[in-house]
Amino acid sequence: MVWNWMIALYLFLAGMGAGAFVLSGIAGMAKKPCPKIKTIGFIAGPVCVAVGTLLLVVDAHAGLMNPLRFFYLVSNLGSVMAWGVIILTLFIVVAAIDAIIMIVKKSTPRVLDIIGMILAVCVAAYTGVLLGDASVAFPLWHPIILPILFLVSAASTGFALVMVIAHGKAHDEIANIGFTVKSGMVLPVLEALLVIALLGTVAITGGSAAAAAKASVANLLTGGYALAFWVLFVIVGLAFPFAQALHKSMQEKKSLMQQPGLTIAGEVGVLIGGFMLRYLIVMAAIPVALG
Amino acid sequence: MSEKKLGMLIDLSLCVGCNACAVACKQENEVPTGCFNTWIESFDVEADGQIKRANIPKLCNHCEDAPCVKVCPTQASHRTEDGTIVVDPERCIGCKYCIAACPYQVRYQLPSGEVEKCTFCEHRTSKGMLPACVGTCITHARMFGDLNDPESDISKKLAASKTETLYPDLGLSPRVYYIGLDDTLAMPVASAVHKGGNVLRHYEG
Repeated sequence: MVWNWMIALYLFLAGMGAGAFVLSGIAGMAKKPCPKIKTIGFIAGPVCVAVGTLLLVVDAHAGLMNPLRFFYLVSNLGSVMAWGVIILTLFIVVAAIDAIIMIVKKSTPRVLDIIGMILAVCVAAYTGVLLGDASVAFPLWHPIILPILFLVSAASTGFALVMVIAHGKAHDEIANIGFTVKSGMVLPVLEALLVIALLGTVAITGGSAAAAAKASVANLLTGGYALAFWVLFVIVGLAFPFAQALHKSMQEKKSLMQQPGLTIAGEVGVLIGGFMLRYLIVMAAIPVALG
Repeated sequence: MSEKKLGMLIDLSLCVGCNACAVACKQENEVPTGCFNTWIESFDVEADGQIKRANIPKLCNHCEDAPCVKVCPTQASHRTEDGTIVVDPERCIGCKYCIAACPYQVRYQLPSGEVEKCTFCEHRTSKGMLPACVGTCITHARMFGDLNDPESDISKKLAASKTETLYPDLGLSPRVYYIGLDDTLAMPVASAVHKGGNVLRHYEG
């Protein structure tokens, strides 16, 4: 395999950080104020993306040993990775400035929040486009469906991260962003549909890539990665959080507050599933030459 | 004079699978253990009720529309004036994006982190010599030269033969041509596929 868990973790952290930033941006603009929830994502978001970027640097061994070579990173603007370097840098800088302003002045300029949120969406989608631009060699990495799937998963995991922390630090504000109950149901369904679309589209790939495409899909559904796919991604990452959100939506708001344990378990499930999605997409992909 | 466009033509009917090319390449280019700039994929096939041995030499295709060059963020992977795709180790950060983008999977990472691959023996051909794999081939199965020069041996043989490339439908315009590739690939495989003494693909028949 070309890449390993480190790159999968980077893809996960970048998506989760971007999603967390966006949710906190929305929370900051909500009718009822949620300053604590805003703080959570505005700090966790850039931290996750920065840690992920650090993993990229560590994985690029020749660059790590010769750091000056990283200055060449934007010399080919036709490379999706070069776009990524620019997008990641801009997001980290904008989000860091926003976080510093927030800590110093307690409020942030709305323009900066919105720029940060747009960049966050770019970060999340970029992680899928990065793999998608190598789909000529790895047909599992569909150049259109994968970025959308990663974007949805980024929202899912980012929201879950903020909510997990909010249960401890901003309990009183959770009711102010009531849409997260609905998004907790919608996002796993959307993600499941996108995974079905991805695997279905890849499975019918024709030509020289056909064998590798089918082998990649089989690798996930019935092969070496099937256990991880069905248990850790489908059940833990999608079905359980969906059932949990559905259960929550049918309850009264008051009783909801009394059982945060189950809610937190659902959100942790989303995070596990989010990492597994990246890991499986990276690891189960088979190149055309080995199909 | 028009610019050079280097390429290779491999006649599979002449290849006996001796691996001299792979060995010569390893010595010439000091390729690390377990890695190959060129190799032979050998396997049994069924043909006319008999079992025959198929040998397909492989190497970087030096694609005209090379995805490795497109995705490389640092321009370490680049095309030289004669169309050869090479990696500048002084610019390579080891991100492995080029390895991920190559459908032929001809690239590998050195222990120091840089990515390497076949260079068409640039250091030899620039001095008028043949690539090591071509020079050592015992049956002259490999032919190398300027595809833009109609008088070159390779151009003449290309014009006179029915040739194919690997994965032409991917649209990358590879510059390694084969004689007999499609016929070989059309035969039912009857054994595991071997590469450099190891099993590349198990036999499930």
